[in-house]
Amino acid sequence: MDIRLSGVTKMFEPDIIALEDLYLSVDKGEFVYLVGTTGSGKTTLLRLLSREYLPTRGQITVGDKNLRKISRREIPFYRRDVGVVFQDYRLLPNRTVFENIAFVLEAMGIPPRIVQNRANEVIDQVGLWRRRFLNPPQLSGGEQQRVAIARAMANSPSIFLADEPTGNLDVRTSEEIMRLLLSVNAAGTTVIVATHDRYLVDAYRQRLVELHNGRLKRDEHRGRYDIDGEL
Amino acid sequence: MASFRYALRDTFRLLFRHWGLSLLTLLTAASVLYILGFTALFALNVRHMVSRVEGGLVVQAYLKKGALPDDLLAKLKAIPVVTSLKTISPDEAIERLRAKLGNQARAVTLLGENPLPWSVEVSVTKAEYITPLVRDLMIFPSVEEVLYSGKLVERLSVISRTASGVSGAILVLTMVISALVIFNTIRIAIYSRKEEIEVMLLIGATKTYISLPFVFQGLLLGAGGALLAVAGLWATYASAVAAIRSSLVFLDIIVNRQVLFQFFFLLFSFGATLGWICSWLAVHRFTSRAMRPR
Ligand SMILES: Nc1ncnc2c1ncn2[C@@H]1O[C@H](COP(=O)(O)OP(=O)(O)O)[C@@H](O)[C@H]1O
Ligand SMILES: [Mg+2]
Repeated sequence: MDIRLSGVTKMFEPDIIALEDLYLSVDKGEFVYLVGTTGSGKTTLLRLLSREYLPTRGQITVGDKNLRKISRREIPFYRRDVGVVFQDYRLLPNRTVFENIAFVLEAMGIPPRIVQNRANEVIDQVGLWRRRFLNPPQLSGGEQQRVAIARAMANSPSIFLADEPTGNLDVRTSEEIMRLLLSVNAAGTTVIVATHDRYLVDAYRQRLVELHNGRLKRDEHRGRYDIDGEL
Repeated sequence: MASFRYALRDTFRLLFRHWGLSLLTLLTAASVLYILGFTALFALNVRHMVSRVEGGLVVQAYLKKGALPDDLLAKLKAIPVVTSLKTISPDEAIERLRAKLGNQARAVTLLGENPLPWSVEVSVTKAEYITPLVRDLMIFPSVEEVLYSGKLVERLSVISRTASGVSGAILVLTMVISALVIFNTIRIAIYSRKEEIEVMLLIGATKTYISLPFVFQGLLLGAGGALLAVAGLWATYASAVAAIRSSLVFLDIIVNRQVLFQFFFLLFSFGATLGWICSWLAVHRFTSRAMRPR
């Protein structure tokens, strides 16, 4: 599904401008880094795409849906097609890894047998098979991040949004996470990753969109983290 | 159908994983419903006693000499609030007089031919119906005289109305308070699952899917609390009946099993419905708020 933002402004009352007059198109199957310093509006943009926020001005369309116009009843069904990896993971601490992933599928009314197969499949894919019966607090940061990714992958969404997925992780773990995201993208899913991980961006070059104070600063094919010529 | 099974499973998960909170909700519902039931039983008994006294009030209508009571009886039978009618013939009247006079009964024979008229004793359901009844009787052609205790009737009417009003008001108040207490207890229980509900909304669970386990839980806890309350009230009431029968015999309390069964069934339904509605309201409010986009 294509994503189109035209003239999108998001303000938080009374006078905080998180995003300003943003035009952006992302085609189906693209991989996009969303970079920028903290406070530049990355999380806000992702939340607009998952319909947690409504834009103050402008239009956002995803596929044939105008996010301003979808009804409350449609929102759950829209969100099922958008996998989100939250900045703070948002795992349920007193459920096992397996349950954390299975409940997403269950909420969609999928029968238990299929839920079990699919949950096991994605758990294996993110390399947590041996830890599937542990609870999130028993896992390392990188492992929790992988659970969050597995959960977002579980119902094979068309769009995958990840908010600073390598935020607090070491280089080696970050690379593992990155390879996971690339494999999701390789399966045809549109992936947008908000990050300020310079190392990753430069090591795995992809389309790069930079925000600065809520405005679009750069949009480059296979861009580097720092603008050429700058230090 | 898979959704329904998940909802049932999650209901029991809610109930037993957080058994402390469930127990607290159950006991709160039980105590509140016990108090409600107690108030209601008390109010019912007060009304019952008042209406017993009211039903015992008798209006006596003495007919004119030589008049027969048939017309009057026909008219009185057509009045719905009339509960009993008793006709006393002149012969019966004289017998009563004899019995009253005891050893001076022979004086009655001095009267010669029986001078007493026919009379009719009327009872109605409520004291307030007596005054209009008396008015009707007095203008009835064959009626000579009407006897009743006016002051008592007036006082009883007032007492009856006050008793109904006060017990009704207390009952409504108790109902509102129990609803509020149960609503808030369930709301706290739902609030403790805040994080989980929010995540579920974010990953695309529908409001119905999220609400079902909470609603089932509310229904079960409401019904369970009501059962406990009914058991408690049953025990309390049985011992109250025993105590009253041995020492306060003049108190006329409700012992009709059918009435009591109906009452307890009503209380049980009220508890279950209350649990159901309260949890639905609480979870609906919560999810609606969480869903509102900013
Ligand atoms: N819910 C909110 N209420 C008020 N201001 C917000 C809210 N969310 C974000 N902001 C503001 O919007 C700006 C962009 O924030 P954010 O999108 O979180 O940036 P980033 O994710 O790039 O660090 C910041 O100045 C932040 O304070
Ligand atoms: Mg952010």
